[in-house]
Amino acid sequence: MNSKKAKYLSENMERIARRDRIFLNNPVIMQGMGLAPLVVAATNGMNALMLSVAVLLLLTPTRVVAAMICRTGRGQLRALVYCFTSSILYIGVYFALRAMFDVEILQLGVYLPMLIVEPLIIKRYERPQPERVITALRKGLRTTAGYVLVLLLIGCLRELLASGAVFGVAVPWLKFTLLPMASLPAGGFILLGVVCAVWRGLVRAYKKHVHTEARRGE
Amino acid sequence: MEVVKACSTFFLYAVTAIFAENAVFGRAMGVSRLVKLVEDSTVDTLTFGGLLCLIQLVAAPLTYWVNLLLTPLSWRNAVRPFLFILCSTVAFFVVLGVLLLVLKEKARPMLAVLPMATFNTAVLGVLLIAATQNFNLLQTMGFALGSGVGYTAAVVVVGEGQRRMRQDMVPGSFKGLPITLIYIGILALAIYGFTGHRISIG
Repeated sequence: MNSKKAKYLSENMERIARRDRIFLNNPVIMQGMGLAPLVVAATNGMNALMLSVAVLLLLTPTRVVAAMICRTGRGQLRALVYCFTSSILYIGVYFALRAMFDVEILQLGVYLPMLIVEPLIIKRYERPQPERVITALRKGLRTTAGYVLVLLLIGCLRELLASGAVFGVAVPWLKFTLLPMASLPAGGFILLGVVCAVWRGLVRAYKKHVHTEARRGE
Repeated sequence: MEVVKACSTFFLYAVTAIFAENAVFGRAMGVSRLVKLVEDSTVDTLTFGGLLCLIQLVAAPLTYWVNLLLTPLSWRNAVRPFLFILCSTVAFFVVLGVLLLVLKEKARPMLAVLPMATFNTAVLGVLLIAATQNFNLLQTMGFALGSGVGYTAAVVVVGEGQRRMRQDMVPGSFKGLPITLIYIGILALAIYGFTGHRISIG
């Protein structure tokens, strides 16, 4: 990393971290959002993929439509606006998922419809100031990307640890299952906790590295 | 005799939902809200839990009847969440009205918490489980009330655990959310010790 870039990153780290929803300020790792589907339903790569598509189709449209509606009214019942928007959009999302994955979506159980009240999707209602539509679109896409990344990572990791496969394909060099408990909710909690700790450690190390490089360049 | 049988069914499902089928430890429902609640000193856990139980109790019979109407429809899975949110909204306004009537000005701090207690995965998830597992009305209400109480108990237990853990030497990267998740995971494992990891009712 050159000193000029390090200095820029060091001076603007807080602003950059606030806007970055993928690594520095991931919605799952830093804010603990969207945990229920991750812990219980994302037990393998396929489930994680189906959840990812559902979040992709639900999160940004909900945020954008709700932002549009809240700007027109006084916004005192924002919670209702967000929940009704996501639940109406869910009807279309359900049929789209059914067309894509057929009966496989039944594997997700109640965790698919539960997405409509997941804080990841509706939490914006708690903030009183209305959101600009373009901001809703931008933040919605970034949050989706960050969440999908963690979903796929956890889904594949749990499948690998619990059954020695990834997306149903057995890993040839893995002769035994490493952690059968990984497919259970308790295993999901513990594994996610460890992944969070490692991720946060990496973020901390990255920030420290940037500040050190910036100081060295001065 | 019928009354005793009905009461025993209600309490059986309530107790099962509190311990064996705890919404947090068994199914991770409302866990995103829980990790916020244990860190947020501005929201009283018992107020939140009380409101959650009230919402569950009012919404449970409504969703039960709605689900009966939906049963013959092939596309019920697509519209069920929307209709259940509608039921939760009715419960929201009923509880809001009762609070304003009974507590008047004292209800103001609760009103800020009410949307959070109404629209969360702990409420919708429990109502969806009761519907998909074809519980009858008493079972649905017992399960809903028990889940609310179980959720509140889980928030208290996790909050107390986190308070104690802060005093110990927790490595920097594990502080906050990671250690809370690991702690919940270990508590969930302890519950598996009693019940096994499969759903035991329904």
